[in-house]
Amino acid sequence: MSETQTPERAPRPSIRGRLLAWLLGALVVAGVVMGGAAYQRAHQDLDELLDYQLKQLAFSLSRQSLGSVPVLPGTPSPEPDFITQVWDRDGVLMFYSRPNMAIPMRPRPGFSNMDWNGQSWRVFTQLDGVRIIQVAHPLSLRREMAADFARRAVTPLLALLPLLAIGIWIVVGRVLKPLSSISSALRARTPASLQPLPHEDLPDELVPLVGALNDLLQRLQQAMELQRQFVGDAAHELRSPLTAVQLQLSLLKRASSAEERAAAIERLERGVQRSNRLVQQLLTLARQDPQVPDAATESVDMNQVAREVVSDFEPQAALNQQQLRLEPATEPVLIRGERDALRVMLSNLIDNALRYTPAHGSVIVRTRRDGPQALIEVEDSGPGIPPEQRLRVFDRFYRVPRAAVEEGSGLGLAIVKRVAQRHAGEVSLDDARAGTGLKVSVRLPAFASPASH
Amino acid sequence: MRLLLVEDDNMIGEAVRAGLRQEGFTVDWVRDAEQGDVALRTEPYALLLLDLGLPRKNGLAWLRELRRRGEATPVLVITARDAVADRIAGLDGGADDYLVKPFDLDELAARVRAVLRRHGGRAAPLLQHGELTLDPATRQATWKGQPVALSAREYALLAALLERPGAILSRAQLEQRLYGWGEEVESNAVEVHIHHLRRKLGADTIRNVRGLGYTLAKPE
Repeated sequence: MSETQTPERAPRPSIRGRLLAWLLGALVVAGVVMGGAAYQRAHQDLDELLDYQLKQLAFSLSRQSLGSVPVLPGTPSPEPDFITQVWDRDGVLMFYSRPNMAIPMRPRPGFSNMDWNGQSWRVFTQLDGVRIIQVAHPLSLRREMAADFARRAVTPLLALLPLLAIGIWIVVGRVLKPLSSISSALRARTPASLQPLPHEDLPDELVPLVGALNDLLQRLQQAMELQRQFVGDAAHELRSPLTAVQLQLSLLKRASSAEERAAAIERLERGVQRSNRLVQQLLTLARQDPQVPDAATESVDMNQVAREVVSDFEPQAALNQQQLRLEPATEPVLIRGERDALRVMLSNLIDNALRYTPAHGSVIVRTRRDGPQALIEVEDSGPGIPPEQRLRVFDRFYRVPRAAVEEGSGLGLAIVKRVAQRHAGEVSLDDARAGTGLKVSVRLPAFASPASH
Repeated sequence: MRLLLVEDDNMIGEAVRAGLRQEGFTVDWVRDAEQGDVALRTEPYALLLLDLGLPRKNGLAWLRELRRRGEATPVLVITARDAVADRIAGLDGGADDYLVKPFDLDELAARVRAVLRRHGGRAAPLLQHGELTLDPATRQATWKGQPVALSAREYALLAALLERPGAILSRAQLEQRLYGWGEEVESNAVEVHIHHLRRKLGADTIRNVRGLGYTLAKPE
C-alpha cells in the first residue's frame, strides 16, 4: 500500500530561504547582544550618576537650617522617586519627604543597599554632627531606566528587520538569477541539440559548474554522434547481404528446373547466413562498447580458451582442406577478463585467418606468457595485408579488397580491437614468420595467480 | 546485349550476373574500377552497371573520370546510399539511372532495358521492323502477327540487329554481343543462329552483306 505512495519528502532547502533565515537570525542575535551591552553600560552610568545625586541631595539637606524645614508632614521632595528623612541626634524623626514611606534608619554612614517593603533600595546616610540625613531611592528605577535606554538603542534595528528581509529576498533572487537561466538553457537541450551553454556574463562561482556541464554535453554529443554513425553504418552494411538475399530469392522464383532451384536455395541460404552473421557481429560489437559497464571478470586461462575455439573451427578448416594448429604454452596463460568476450575475440581472429587462407594453407594459433603480458598470436598463410592498409582494417566495415573471398562482415578486427581494449591490451599486425601471410598478435596484461611461478 | 557489371560483393555480383543472363543479357563482371577500366577499353558494352561502394577507388569518382574522358556508355548506378543528395551526386556525376540496394532483379532488368531504350533514341518499349516485333521485357518475337519461339542467343542476335535497323554488324561484333568472357564461341555459331532465324522468319529477313556482315532487309 504505502509503497505506491511517494514517501513524504523533507522540504527542499532553498538557498534564498536559507540565506534569509541566517542573515535575519544573525541580525537578531546582533540586536540582542547590542541591547545587552547597552543595558550594562547604561546601568553603570546610572549607578554613578544617581549615587552622585543621592550624595548631593543629602549634602544640600545638611546645609539647610532645620528651622526652615517643616517638621510634620514634610513637603514632597523635589525628586519624585527620592525619599529623604532626617533624624536628630536622639533618633527622633525630624523630617520625612513621604509620610507613608518611613524607611528604617541606617545609622552607618555612606552608601548601602537595603531590602524594605518588598523593594531594593539604594540608601545614602550622612551624619553631620547634630542630625542623621538619609536619602534613598529604589534600585528598580535604575534597572528600568537602563532597560529603557537599551530598548531605545535596539528598536530602530528591529524596526528595520522586515525591510531588511525584503531587501535580502530581492537581492538574493537577483544574484541567483543566472542559475535559473542556466536551467532553462539546459532544459532547451535535446539529444539532437547539445550545444554548449553560454558562459558569458556569469558570476565567478558558476563558471566551474557551467564548464563541467559543457564538458558533459560535449561528451554526450560525441557519444551520440558515434552511436548515430554506427547505426547508419550498420544499416548501410546490412543492405548488402539483404540485397544478395533478395536477388537470390528472385532467382529462386525464376528457377525452372530442380537443379536450378537447388542451386538457388543453396545461394539463398548462404545469403541468409551472411545476414545473420553480420547481425550477430553487430550485436557483439555493441556489447563490447566501451561505455557498457564491465561484465563479471574472472581468471581465464587463454590456453583453454584457445583449445575450445580451435576445436570449434576444426570442422570448417577440414572442410576447406586447411590446416588449423594450436601451439599452446606449456604453463597456463592466465589473464583477468571476460571469458565470453575473449572467446569471441579469438573466434574472430581464427575465422578471419581461415577466410583469407587458401585451401591447403595453414593457420597457427599460439599462446605464450611474455613477461608481464599474455600473448596470443594467430598466423595464417594467406595473402597478408599490405602495411599501408594495416591501420584501416580495424575500422568498422572495412574489408581488405581481395577478390573471390567469401564476404565477411567487416567487423571482425574491430571486435578484436574492442575486446583487447576492454582488457587493457593491444592488437598488432605483422608479416607471418614465413611466407606472405598475416600474423595478428594480441597482448593482454597477464594475471599472476599464486599457483603460477 | 553485353553489359559490364562492376561490383565488389561476390554474392550480389553472382546473383546479378545470373539474373541478367536469364533476361538474355551477356554480363561481364569485374570487382573494381581498375579492372573496369581495362574491360571498357577492350570491349564495347551496351551498358555499365556500377556499384558505387567499391574498394580502392570510389565508384562515383571513377564515373566522373569516365565521363571526363568522353566515355559515352550509359551507366546504371547501384548503391546502398539512398539519401537524395547521394542520388543527385550520382546522376550529376554522369549516371543515367540510379538503383538503391536492396533491389529486385525484375526492376534491375526493367531499368537496364529502359536505359538502353533511351540511349538508343527510342521511347517505345518494343523493337519493330516491318512485320517483325521484339518485346525486350518478355523477350518475345512476333512475325506477321504470330508469336515466334526464339532461343536466348537467337533473341540476342535479332535484338542487336533490330536496335539500329539498316546498320551492318560484322560477325565479330555479333559474337561480342552474344558471348561474355570465358564463354566458348564455336567457330560458326553466328551462322548457325542466323540460319535458324531465317528458317523461322523467312529467308529474306536477314541479309548477308558479303565481306561486311549482316543487316535487316528493308521492309516491303
